[in-house]
Amino acid sequence: MGFALIALRRASRSSTSVFNRLSSSSPASISRVLPSSYRWIVSTPELQNPEAATATTTTPQPTQPELIHPPRNPVGGARVHFPNPDDAIEVFVDGFPVKIPKGMTVLQACEIAGVDIPRFCYHSRLSIAGNCRMCLVEVEKSPKPVASCAMPALPGMKIKTDTPIAKKAREGVMEFLLMNHPLDCPICDQGGECDLQDQSMAFGSDRGRFTDVKRSVVDKNLGPLVKTVMTRCIQCTRCVRFATEVAGVQDLGMLGRGSGEEIGTYVEKLMTSELSGNVIDICPVGALTSKPFAFKARNWELKGTETIDVTDAVGSNIRIDSRGPEVMRIIPRLNEDINEEWISDKTRFCYDGLKRQRLNDPMIRGPDGRFKSVSWRDALAIVAEVVHNVKPEEIVGVAGKLSDAESMMMLKDFLNKLGSNNVWCEGTAAQPCADLRSGFLMNSSIGGLEKADAFLLVGTQPRVEAAMVNARIRKTVKANQAKVGYIGPPADLNYDHQHLGTTPQTLLEIAEGRHPFCSTLLSAKNPAIIVGAGLFERMDKDAIFSAVETIAKLGKVVRPDWNGLNVLLLNAAQAAALDLGLVPETENSIESAKFLYLMGADDVNLDKLPGDAFVVYQGHHGDKSVYRANVILPASAFSEKEGIYENTEGCAQQTLPAVPTVGDARDDWKIIRALSEVSGIQLPYDSLGAVRSRIRNVAPNLLHVDERESATFSHVVKPEFCQKISMTPFTSAVENFYMTDSITRASKIMAQCSASLLSKK
Amino acid sequence: MFATGAARLASKRLLEIRQVFRQSPQTSRSLSTALNYHLDSPDNNPDMPWEFSEKNKEKAKEILSHYPSNYKQSAVIPLLDLAQQQHGGWLPVSAMNAVAKVIEVAPIRVYEVATFYSMFNRAKVGKYHLLVCGTTPCMIRGSRDIEDALLKHLGVKRNGELIAARYRSCEVTKDGMFSVGEMECMGSCVNAPMIAVADYSNGSEGYTYNYYEDLTPERVVEIVEMFRKGEIPPVGTQNKKRIMSGPEDGNTSLLSDPKPPPCRDLNAC
Amino acid sequence: MLGALTKIGKSALNGIKEKGIGGFFKELKQDGFVRCLPDGNLLQTKIHNIGATLVGVDKFGNKYYEKLENVQYGRHRWVEYGEKTRYNASQVPPEWHGWLHYITDHTGDELLMLKPQRYGVDHKQNFSGEGDEYIYHSKGHALNPGQKDWTRYQKWKPTQP
Repeated sequence: MGFALIALRRASRSSTSVFNRLSSSSPASISRVLPSSYRWIVSTPELQNPEAATATTTTPQPTQPELIHPPRNPVGGARVHFPNPDDAIEVFVDGFPVKIPKGMTVLQACEIAGVDIPRFCYHSRLSIAGNCRMCLVEVEKSPKPVASCAMPALPGMKIKTDTPIAKKAREGVMEFLLMNHPLDCPICDQGGECDLQDQSMAFGSDRGRFTDVKRSVVDKNLGPLVKTVMTRCIQCTRCVRFATEVAGVQDLGMLGRGSGEEIGTYVEKLMTSELSGNVIDICPVGALTSKPFAFKARNWELKGTETIDVTDAVGSNIRIDSRGPEVMRIIPRLNEDINEEWISDKTRFCYDGLKRQRLNDPMIRGPDGRFKSVSWRDALAIVAEVVHNVKPEEIVGVAGKLSDAESMMMLKDFLNKLGSNNVWCEGTAAQPCADLRSGFLMNSSIGGLEKADAFLLVGTQPRVEAAMVNARIRKTVKANQAKVGYIGPPADLNYDHQHLGTTPQTLLEIAEGRHPFCSTLLSAKNPAIIVGAGLFERMDKDAIFSAVETIAKLGKVVRPDWNGLNVLLLNAAQAAALDLGLVPETENSIESAKFLYLMGADDVNLDKLPGDAFVVYQGHHGDKSVYRANVILPASAFSEKEGIYENTEGCAQQTLPAVPTVGDARDDWKIIRALSEVSGIQLPYDSLGAVRSRIRNVAPNLLHVDERESATFSHVVKPEFCQKISMTPFTSAVENFYMTDSITRASKIMAQCSASLLSKK
Repeated sequence: MFATGAARLASKRLLEIRQVFRQSPQTSRSLSTALNYHLDSPDNNPDMPWEFSEKNKEKAKEILSHYPSNYKQSAVIPLLDLAQQQHGGWLPVSAMNAVAKVIEVAPIRVYEVATFYSMFNRAKVGKYHLLVCGTTPCMIRGSRDIEDALLKHLGVKRNGELIAARYRSCEVTKDGMFSVGEMECMGSCVNAPMIAVADYSNGSEGYTYNYYEDLTPERVVEIVEMFRKGEIPPVGTQNKKRIMSGPEDGNTSLLSDPKPPPCRDLNAC
Repeated sequence: MLGALTKIGKSALNGIKEKGIGGFFKELKQDGFVRCLPDGNLLQTKIHNIGATLVGVDKFGNKYYEKLENVQYGRHRWVEYGEKTRYNASQVPPEWHGWLHYITDHTGDELLMLKPQRYGVDHKQNFSGEGDEYIYHSKGHALNPGQKDWTRYQKWKPTQP
């Protein structure tokens, strides 16, 4: 005690400002008895001292407030967008002035000023809850610390983020949070990327004062994807808000009260959402973790590769985390224009399909009908021999739905050199109009859908065909109260919609202006029509498209400032294939084919293929078509190669190899290049760069990576057609959301999902 | 000398800490009446049909009319209360689903409310649900004795203490008449100790929720026996010498007429 | 210093008197005085021990000394390992670690009372470098014999004709 007193006297003599303020406002005797290590909590001195307050208000300080910190860059590259420059207000964060638009919260203002406020419950894409209290900051003239995430910034506000009050407040909050939090970081999968862990390094104490028994909560079963350890939960309600607002499944809730509070579904219920995996990312602690990834790896062992997803046509930006030669998990990457920061469960959990059913050796089918492994030389020689013995018109090539632009370019060039132009990509078999890009792209762009205020979905179920587009539509419906009309088979869309009909009859009614939904379309400012690419398979597709165009004309959907006539593609390869002109010359070429080159095409219908046709399957998974193949050429999957993919809105993106490929597999374009040499018609491309310069001649937009190239011409220049609309109802293009391609069909997790989640629906 | 003394003190303190840890967690009393998640049982599962009775449908409509049509969800608490009265004092999960359907929200939003408020019972209670106040003023005036007397007389266990390991709920007497729960302050501190009796014996029409105050362990047993006979004991204070919350034997202070409130001289300003 | 030396001499003579010359040398060997000859560290520790107070001995035979006078602050606590030949810092059990590193003033004997009895495991020293069986190798490591058959992917097997 004596030591403390001496220290205190010395401290009060040396003029630290805090002490001076305090001793002037409070009896010195009180300050004397406090130990020197005590961290002072003083509210703003002006409040305690009325004279000082008036002095500061009447005489504004002539000089700029002293810069405590040098100007900093915004946190995480936060951008400020001023919708109306007059609404800009100025606030001071740690004495540093920042201009922000009106309506921003204190936390956002701090982010723009480059101060990262600790937070648990606040998430920029979810509604504000303000229940974790971790983001407390001091605001001048406010008697208490304020929760910055829920406090709107006001003009001239003086925010202090690193004062003793703010720090003490956060330390208090942290102590309460840690009170009931188990100390199981060593066995927790979130360890190393846990918000609570990180922030307790800054605000946590090395010991707690809580001597009671810690709370424990029963774990919930949320299905095969999300593992729950509810005792770790800190009740930030991010998952509840995500499920309610973004995923649109109101399953999760906050149950109970006080210390018995817990997150749960109350009744036994699985989370049947196609976006449920995202709760793993938004959970700031280890309460919700990935079930397939549980206890597999630590995040610091993983190497991240920024690449894109190919399981649907959205091209979500992902990061493949690999350890050595193994893909350990897939997590989303931020891309405001495409997937924001979510990805669908198929994207996230299909990775175990990359490790199963892989083709790793070239194989040929012997005379006894059995496959045997051979060397590349032998396999290519056999193919080259066959290819010369068939007539050019009997050669057919099909690219799979996971093919990259380079390999499709190579395939087309190879077959063209052989004299055949019967090459297409899965989903483009029925000769869609590939000449006008506006005829197969999402013209309003995925991000642009947010501007729409009325949707007409024709023969498409975005929820299963492109979950991220569906999330965007849902966001728009929630934000703008946009109306959604849907024509197609009964579907489970997770937003308010009117089911207008199941046949093209409804479409005709709307086109003729007889349908009640017409008024919605006409009164909408930015109406959007989304046509499913499943319609490409219909015989009357031109007639349907013309009906859609009539509606577009009627509703002024295509204007110079807004193009709302969209096609939602189904697979990752489709857009690039159409850009490169991979459409067949004749519709039923497969029935007369003698040589069929399948480049990863597994969903192509081979029933009509003649029995004596020679089938080459080049791909990475032993899926459906392998069983018909005569020669198997192993290729690398999207996680193992560099390739360009164009997504449904026309944005070219690039995958990067995250892991080495398996066995003897090679990149698709290299295989075709080698095959062309063996068959004596060598293609002049020796590197990926050479293939790309060839692509530059055909479709230069594919090389503008990460840029969306919108379609220039619109439908006005479309050729005439003579087709009649048939009245067969629309069918759903995707039967099983979890299993659409060879990778997802090989995945065990996806099989579990379709078994447990789809049956519940 | 000093060091050894300090060491001895320290070791003693450490022993004390250890003693605290050694004690069983039974010292903390759990106040929740039921689990925060649902477990299917024969009389409580989502497949059980449940609907408001015709009379209560009218009432529900009346309740809904208090709120704007786009804020139907505001009626969740009165509707849950109505459903609870109709179902004999507790809410099966199918009743909550029915309420969710009426107010057009997802069932989980109703579960959230029902689990939050301790007056919604999600497990079976007796026809007379006796709620003993356990907050400080009542506790000082002997609410623990009241509770013990009740439990002993009825032969049931307190809420929160597991009876059937699977369904944690208040234990109901064998004849289904009584159950005992604990409640926090009900605002009758001046007449402590007190119990509240929720009477579900006559459905939602004859539902009452009465306070019995100034209790003694003997008196509370008498009250229970009167209920058992079908009588309704006099509500309010059980101390015959008191009128309402006034002092025993009449008022002792504030006997004169109160002074009129000071009136501002309006002409002065 | 001289006084201390005479003290040591006296205690040595006493020892010889009590146990006889053979017993005395045996004890010398046990206490590591013989080991002092090739091992300077141990010798220095032994010299350091002169005049220090023995605070405690743990069950591994490590002796914990403290000396408060005439010693630099921060160097006033030390350990003489029970193991005289291959000693290392991980032989200090956790209950004494705090005392030894000035984290706490509670001695290991006091802190031992806080050790959980149901699940507290016995202290083990770090066996790194003490033999292959103590070294962790990840799966697929060449020195991890049991798991060499691990494959990172499962190849397609042409089962159907």
